[in-house]
Amino acid sequence: MSEDKDRVDGYRQQSGKLPFSRPGSGGSRKMSEPRDEDTLASIRGGGGHKHDDLVTGSAVGRPTALIDGRWKVTGQAQYGDDVRLSGELIGRIVRSKHHYARVLSIDVSAAIELPGVVAVATGQDASGRFGVLPVTKDEHAMAQEKVRHVGDLIACVAATDEATAREAVRLVEVEYEELEAVHDMRQGLEDSDEPIHDRGKYHIGASNVQKRVFQEFGDIEGMSTNAVVSHNSNWLFAGANHGFTEPHAVVANWDPSGRLTLYTPQQVPHYVHRALADVLDIPMHQINVHRTFVGGGFGGKSDPFPHEMCAAILSRKTGRPVRINFDREEVFWVNRGRHPSRIEMNLHADSEGRLCGIETDALIDGGAFASFGHVTTYYNGVLHTAPYEIGAFHYTGARVWTNKPASGAMRGHGAVNSRCAVEVGMDDLAEQLSVDPIALRLANLLPPHSATITGFRVTSIGMRECLERVREASGWDDKFRKLPDGHGIGIGCGFFISGSGLPIHWEPNKFPHATVHLKIDMDGGVTVHTGAAEIGQGSDTVIAQSVAEVLGLPLDMIRIRSRETDTSPVDLGSYSSRVTFMNANAAISAAMGIRQELLEAAAALTEAPVERLVIGDRRIYRKDDPAVGVSYLEALHKAQEDKGALVSSGAYRTPPMGRVHKGAGAGIAPAYSFSAYVAEVKVDIETGQTKVLKVWAAHDCGKALNPLAVKGQIIGSCHMGLGQVLSEEMKYSRNGHLINPDLLDYKIPTIHEMPEIVPIIVESNDSEGPFGAKEAGEGPLLPILPAVCNAVYDAVGIRTSELPITPDRVHRMIEARCKQEGVAPLDLSSPELHHSELQGVLEARASEHASRDAARASDPSPSDYNNGALFGFDPEIPADEQDERWVVSVTPGSDYMESPRLAGSAWKHTERRHRGDS
Amino acid sequence: MVQFRLPMLPAPNEVPWSALVNGNEVSVRIESNAILLDVLRDKAGSLGTKRGCDMGTCGCCSVLIDGVPRLSCLTLAQEASGCGITTIEGLADGHHLHPIQKTFTECGGSQCGFCSPGFLVVISALLEENPTPSDTEIKGAIEGNLCRCTGYQQIVDSVRAASEILVSGEGVEDSTAAKSDPHPGYGRN
Repeated sequence: MSEDKDRVDGYRQQSGKLPFSRPGSGGSRKMSEPRDEDTLASIRGGGGHKHDDLVTGSAVGRPTALIDGRWKVTGQAQYGDDVRLSGELIGRIVRSKHHYARVLSIDVSAAIELPGVVAVATGQDASGRFGVLPVTKDEHAMAQEKVRHVGDLIACVAATDEATAREAVRLVEVEYEELEAVHDMRQGLEDSDEPIHDRGKYHIGASNVQKRVFQEFGDIEGMSTNAVVSHNSNWLFAGANHGFTEPHAVVANWDPSGRLTLYTPQQVPHYVHRALADVLDIPMHQINVHRTFVGGGFGGKSDPFPHEMCAAILSRKTGRPVRINFDREEVFWVNRGRHPSRIEMNLHADSEGRLCGIETDALIDGGAFASFGHVTTYYNGVLHTAPYEIGAFHYTGARVWTNKPASGAMRGHGAVNSRCAVEVGMDDLAEQLSVDPIALRLANLLPPHSATITGFRVTSIGMRECLERVREASGWDDKFRKLPDGHGIGIGCGFFISGSGLPIHWEPNKFPHATVHLKIDMDGGVTVHTGAAEIGQGSDTVIAQSVAEVLGLPLDMIRIRSRETDTSPVDLGSYSSRVTFMNANAAISAAMGIRQELLEAAAALTEAPVERLVIGDRRIYRKDDPAVGVSYLEALHKAQEDKGALVSSGAYRTPPMGRVHKGAGAGIAPAYSFSAYVAEVKVDIETGQTKVLKVWAAHDCGKALNPLAVKGQIIGSCHMGLGQVLSEEMKYSRNGHLINPDLLDYKIPTIHEMPEIVPIIVESNDSEGPFGAKEAGEGPLLPILPAVCNAVYDAVGIRTSELPITPDRVHRMIEARCKQEGVAPLDLSSPELHHSELQGVLEARASEHASRDAARASDPSPSDYNNGALFGFDPEIPADEQDERWVVSVTPGSDYMESPRLAGSAWKHTERRHRGDS
Repeated sequence: MVQFRLPMLPAPNEVPWSALVNGNEVSVRIESNAILLDVLRDKAGSLGTKRGCDMGTCGCCSVLIDGVPRLSCLTLAQEASGCGITTIEGLADGHHLHPIQKTFTECGGSQCGFCSPGFLVVISALLEENPTPSDTEIKGAIEGNLCRCTGYQQIVDSVRAASEILVSGEGVEDSTAAKSDPHPGYGRN
């Protein structure tokens, strides 16, 4: 080291007294790493964001490798089945072999006598109910009286090794009385001698209807009279499984101090925490839920699960750690995947090409348990009240119990199937109106800062830009209806919540949605405590980026502690696409607390007023005279003088939102994401094989905090959506058996099925999002399904209403069309488009709306805009307050009940409490 | 006393088993019908080798046996007795990641990461054989591996980037080197 008269030893003794003459505090590098001014400009989004002043240019907006990535690529990441504790026992589960049966007796004597078996537990060991939603707790750790699907839990065993545990499971003798099972969801609407669950006074008739929804908004009577064209379809969507690569696994350990630690790959550790306390009948503080690395979630690891209870029960019985890991088959039995659905979709357009009505009837097959189904039932309807401005919205939805593995939340929760039906309907309306489907959409969009027909407050909207950019990128105008026969191109849009506005377990007004704690000690590293569950989507990274950005630190100085309920603040975890929006907001708020303390300390050291100071890369200095400043570490040590470590807590709560009708809370969110995809396909007319060639995928995520992760989410969503539209299907035989519970027959796309995806990030700079950001995890899945379906229509002129479009289904449809038109398959012509006069009307309106939207997006206090203005109403007042033909109704009238639709017929039953009998 | 026997399988007997796992001699006693995946996870300390399906459909359990990618869940441990086995833990040398490990994190090849060990060992074998694979060759190499998060595109990007590192001859930085300094440049004149 060279002789330097300015060299100082023993920095700690001289805090604040170093001769700082220039930014970066001297040393071998005279300046700290310069900030990239280009990056700085672009990360400021559209400008005018409340977080703009916090931008330091250090982390946000840069493509960033996941901070836990190196654990994963070296094999050091510990997933559920990788937790090995000394003295562990292996747990296995005894499962029902019947669809629906009463359990008459369980004889465990042979199993318990098997050498190596330490304990056997049955439903008698834990009778507490649980379920992810407090209103529908209908699960038990193990069967109490009945088993409700093949694979339902009856008992569990703990043994010294897996082979012994498997043998013990075989030795448990169960005597059943078989009951008549319900397999067809339509049958679930009818009265049954033995409904699958009994909801007491809330039970709907004697049926298997778990939840029903009726909603009518707008000019219901006018929608068909005003319509010049209508689209009518009846869809059948097969169930889909999340297909995460890590099978469920759990380790429970009752430690010597008498506390239970549960190691589990969970998206929502907090719900398991609550459910365990209920089922085990112990206080919550006696439990620590330790989230391991999660090998894929997608909604499938967000319920509290019975096998987690089983591990805890066995550990309590034996006093030893118990590990349970699933076979792939068991993953399918637990399921919680996308609901098999029957959706009737009717869209109406008037002479001006306005969407004067959407009528949806969705019957969804819940399987054996409620899971998230209460919410799913709403989402199938309410999540298509945007992005289009509509004249009327009629929705009837019902979720029924059947004797299948339970459906639940899966990426794009409840919105995917019905969105597919809406977007295919839009394509059909455009066809009937002889207009371009993108033009039709562009002329019917809600503007930014508006309210939907059901009263959802929508803030930023990047829908228009998404549509325009995919049109441009895909060469749409040269391809649509112009590609050779068998080749086609199609468009689809999406709209999704960015965090559910209602926390399930508490009032949003009483307790925040998300809380984040920060701690900085003398070493200068920042420890972040958050309960947001890193499930591979990059939540740890985005929170670290947010903190690093505010404090002007490099990412490697931020340490995320998000694993344990003991150390993390209570959090709702990773579902409903809430983490970036809510937890990053909470993290920013916490970091602002620390930032203020650092600025005050720097002010004391430099004698500059606080408001003149800014944070740059590891340095705090005067804005107007950058030479005057102190290093981050100096300011930190000064700030710590009185307190030791600096700590700060930040929280996020949603603003008051939405209307007051029953069910108004379902679907409200602090912001919404938008997306538009174009898919190009090739359909083999002779075999029915559909090959997706390329996808242009534009997603409005507000602001890409980590563009690498956002692109990964867009491409990954395409993969999952392509699976559902092309090949994935949970198949049930005629007698109700799930016949493909494995990854050979449940066909997830391999690399050969994947087309090139061109991810396009659109940034609408949401006013309430962290640095402008919204979700990017679920919404990107929605448009791919309809985009492919519409492209298939463009290619071969067949309109599917059944997914997945496997070759046999496409072949059947091609055959039907050939028969109808009396031509051979290879002579089939693909559809043509000759623009009608309406095309010009739509283009003019779209252009007018584009300037309206741009003005509203940049207006700091835009006037109110309610759905209905497009139909001539005053935008500042909800249309239903201006015209009595615009109704708001959440219960069906007698006239509707005269000829209800399929799911609507659930309303023919009366709830038990209203029947006047017992 | 209940006689314990797995149905449909012959009663296993214990046999000695040894192999060179990531360069280390592992000698253990295993049941004669033991599956390589179980032996690696439970007896050879390779918890990085993942179990996804137990039937050769997902590729998470891929390892290299004498340099050739194999599905350890479909391999009897005895078949690999005496062989050199490379698992995910054997790709890095403690200081330096394998280039594909580095690019996998940087290009987004890994999201949840559960399938990554399988992909990585398969890709390392591909790059060993052919440091500049074409897209078709990359696809051919990983066609047996399922990934549910990434849609494969960023995995292919990672392979291309790793190939560039290999071709350039640049090393991967030492992961034990000092990280960014909160008080930049101090004391290093």
